[in-house]
Amino acid sequence: MINRKKFDFALLALLVALVLLGCIAIYSASTTVISGVKSTQNHWWRQIIFALFAFGGVALILWTPMPIFDILILPAFVANIFALILVLFAPAVSGAHRWFSIGGVNFQPSESAKLFSILLVARSISREGLSDYRKLFYGFGIMALPMFLIVIEPDLGTSLIFLLSLMAMFIAADVPVFYILFILSPAISVIASVHWIGIVIWLSFLVFFLIRSRLSWVAITVAGIGNAFISLIMPMLWMGLKDYQQNRILTFFDPTRDPLGAGYQIIQAKIAVGSGSLIGKGWLGGTQKNMNFLPEHHTDFIFSVIGEEFGFIGSLLLLGLFAAFFGRMIHAVGELKVLERKVATAGIFAYLMSQSFINIGMNIGLVPATGIPLPFISYGGSNLLFSTLSVAVILKYMNERGFMK
Amino acid sequence: MTKASRIFSIFSAILFAILVIALFRLQALKGRYYQQVAESNIFRIRRIFATRGEIYDNKYRPIVQNIPSHDLYLTSNKITDLKALSRFLNLHLEIDEEELFDLVQKQRFKTYEEIMIADNIDYDKMLSISEYLNYYPELTFRIGSTRSYLYPNHFSGYVGRINEQEYEKYRSEDYSLNGYIGKTGLERFYEVLLRGRDGREIVQVDARGRSLGLFGIDEGYIKPLNGLSLVLTIDNDLQNFCAQAFPEHLRGALVVSDVRTGGILAYISKPDYDPNLFMQRISPEIWDELNRPAKPMLDRVIHATYPPGSVFKPITAGLGLEKRLVNRNTRLSSCRGGFQYGNRFFRCWLHAGHGSTNVVQALTQSCDVYFYDLSLKLPLEEFKDYVIRSGLYAKTGIDLPNERRGFFPDAEWYKKTFGPNIGISGHKINLSIGQGETLTSPIQMNAYFAAIANGGNWIQPHLLKQTVGRSRLTVSEVQALRRFRLPFSSSDLKTIQDGLYDVCNAPTGTARSVQVPGAKTFGKTGSAENSMGKTTHAWFCGYIETDKPEIAITVFMENAGGGGAMAAPVAKKVFDYYIGNIEDIKRTVALPEQFRTAEDSEEQDEPEDIETIEHRQLDEPEAETEEEL
Repeated sequence: MINRKKFDFALLALLVALVLLGCIAIYSASTTVISGVKSTQNHWWRQIIFALFAFGGVALILWTPMPIFDILILPAFVANIFALILVLFAPAVSGAHRWFSIGGVNFQPSESAKLFSILLVARSISREGLSDYRKLFYGFGIMALPMFLIVIEPDLGTSLIFLLSLMAMFIAADVPVFYILFILSPAISVIASVHWIGIVIWLSFLVFFLIRSRLSWVAITVAGIGNAFISLIMPMLWMGLKDYQQNRILTFFDPTRDPLGAGYQIIQAKIAVGSGSLIGKGWLGGTQKNMNFLPEHHTDFIFSVIGEEFGFIGSLLLLGLFAAFFGRMIHAVGELKVLERKVATAGIFAYLMSQSFINIGMNIGLVPATGIPLPFISYGGSNLLFSTLSVAVILKYMNERGFMK
Repeated sequence: MTKASRIFSIFSAILFAILVIALFRLQALKGRYYQQVAESNIFRIRRIFATRGEIYDNKYRPIVQNIPSHDLYLTSNKITDLKALSRFLNLHLEIDEEELFDLVQKQRFKTYEEIMIADNIDYDKMLSISEYLNYYPELTFRIGSTRSYLYPNHFSGYVGRINEQEYEKYRSEDYSLNGYIGKTGLERFYEVLLRGRDGREIVQVDARGRSLGLFGIDEGYIKPLNGLSLVLTIDNDLQNFCAQAFPEHLRGALVVSDVRTGGILAYISKPDYDPNLFMQRISPEIWDELNRPAKPMLDRVIHATYPPGSVFKPITAGLGLEKRLVNRNTRLSSCRGGFQYGNRFFRCWLHAGHGSTNVVQALTQSCDVYFYDLSLKLPLEEFKDYVIRSGLYAKTGIDLPNERRGFFPDAEWYKKTFGPNIGISGHKINLSIGQGETLTSPIQMNAYFAAIANGGNWIQPHLLKQTVGRSRLTVSEVQALRRFRLPFSSSDLKTIQDGLYDVCNAPTGTARSVQVPGAKTFGKTGSAENSMGKTTHAWFCGYIETDKPEIAITVFMENAGGGGAMAAPVAKKVFDYYIGNIEDIKRTVALPEQFRTAEDSEEQDEPEDIETIEHRQLDEPEAETEEEL
């Protein structure tokens, strides 16, 4: 089953290390000591059971013959879309329809949707002889459906992950970068319009880049004027907003403006991570985890526990593990020669990478709180299972490379 | 390296570099600062409880009020010796060890938060506990607020500490485990209005009380929005009188409603209980007392349904008139003490017999045979449909939780219950006089008779008149009242009304005693056989008219005897009281000062003298600070 020469043992080892680290952090996060009596919630062994399931899934994927694996992608995607529709009718948990609860286990269909959508998009944009326009059309066409269903759950953060993986897949599929820049340029213009220096830098970069890409002067002019128009009109739209609307938007980007609401968790997470200082308070030694986070600290805010208990050294170690892990993935993107597999690997890389960055960034106050878990570390069955299975797909591709073409 | 992996490498390197730099700044450079912040645990959010709305009668006299209470809180991360604490609490507050451990365990991941472990503690007990508080830094007393219910009743309901299931269900609505929630009655039904919204305050002060201005935040404060107070249609005087008028030893219900609005003026269910009992820990003895066989907690007005007996007869008569099977003068089988159907003999309550009667006489004397005979011509499905259209099947929709609907069988139900070969006519004979399987609640009957008084217009019965406080809403702004017309033509309605009039006023009427000087009385008695005991349930349903229709009354007594002998005299007392005090009961009371807003004073037409204006200006800031507390 495993081809010793081709199998990426390093990637698997890093994966196991991350999952184990997650269990250790979850154990600490759900432990508390009152007057010398230690008590622990059962999250950590539930996570271990999830992990065993996930690694069983890894074995299953490696063992499944490639043709069967290929056939299953489309049905899995369709079934997942139905699950995403059904979940909208499930009872809301803290205001969002994201989870099914089946026999005490919560299932989050948006987690599996990431993997299946990536695999399906990779399949459809990697066919031979597709024009760039067609690639863009198919890619957006397929992603639009799950993204729309997830946005109305509502779960903006997760649908952003879809968009980022899609961009990475376009890059891997050799869609010229200027197309992607074209598509993203209005959004960047909106962000750049915050300050006039931002507008100037962004517009000059855009025009410079488009000229270097040898685009026609018509295209460059249209893009330049269009984006300049967007950048300049934004401040006027901004002034047109009511005070409370402005506040809502500002608070989204800077939660500390609302310390009684969204900002509370982030401020507490920052205090926790910061108070870890250089070497941390030691395992189980954290105190800030009992400050009543919502959502709780063993899920989205697990990094704050690691930062507090293992300090800067520990945080660096975790980042190092992640860096090596993503390094192996980038390596795989270079190694894989079948376009579909290369594109899929790029998509999976971007999905896990962006989640890791957003989650850690959120824990240290760099990124707005969006409810995105830290892959492999955060508590949660669906998240752990499907992040691990995504890696299994890359392991499988690496293991079986060179058989075709 | 391919082009794609080069792009990904560059992006990853930039993102990781950003994280490393940010972490270095946070942990290595500012680590000491955050350590201090964490150790002193100064940055916290404290909830400021909103004041729950109070409940008043229609003249703004209190029914439910807030009173201050002494509450004991526990901060679990300050516990040094759990065993000692548990002994202490057991001694003073009868909290056993298991209960305390459970409480601490449940909130063990919020060890910085205060948990309310006992509320509404007696003043004396509070003093004796306070002496030991030095030894238990984890305990703190706080002044909170609790409810005081001014008289025993079934409509106000009561509040209680939120339990785990409720907390799970409503946590998204910002409930606190230390808070209260309406458990039954109006407290539950109008929870959303009464509750208001809790405020928040950021606590970030050092030992000397100086604000630290962490994260550039000087102060964070969200003002609590106090709950709305309810003004009910209940009249405390009348309610009080009715409670007294109802015989002490009996079980039953008494409802008085305003015919023209559907508002309930008095709402009695006996035996009753004191909701204040639920404001403190309930001892096993009290618990047994509340669950004794007479069921004082059961709200007999809406939570129970009973066979209506003869008070149901206007419905049977109404359907006969509607289907033109009989008219006002049609006489049916002569009553000789009963009615032969097949091989069964159905008795009339009067063994001597009533002779041949028309519909008005049959109602007046409550002759069963007339209705037996009529029932044979009524198809069961139409009968049930008519009962539904009369509002005696569905819930009335009164603004109280857990109302029960009535019951009336149909052919399908009989087949399911007794097998496919059941003969329905015999059962129909029983149904026609409100026996057999017919079940209605006192509130349904009251709404039905109120509608007869109100020209056939049925109005959803309700207790809320309006809200006062932050916003002033009338009952129909809170919830649209259901209205419909009873299935009567105007001449048929007149026929039924004449029958009900004769019940109280004709020499042969079954409630001849119910006459009130200055008003016309209408009514119907009922003595319903039932499965609860040998003695019949006593019913009286009726209403009075002065120059216009006034109030409808329903008196119901479980296993008390005949409706004419037992229930009607109570109704007469209430009618007498109402007519005797009609001016006082109907007087409108000006909105008391504390509920007035700035708009009210502007709207007032009367010229105010300078003194009162000054007085108000002085008062206003004070009122506002009171709210903030």
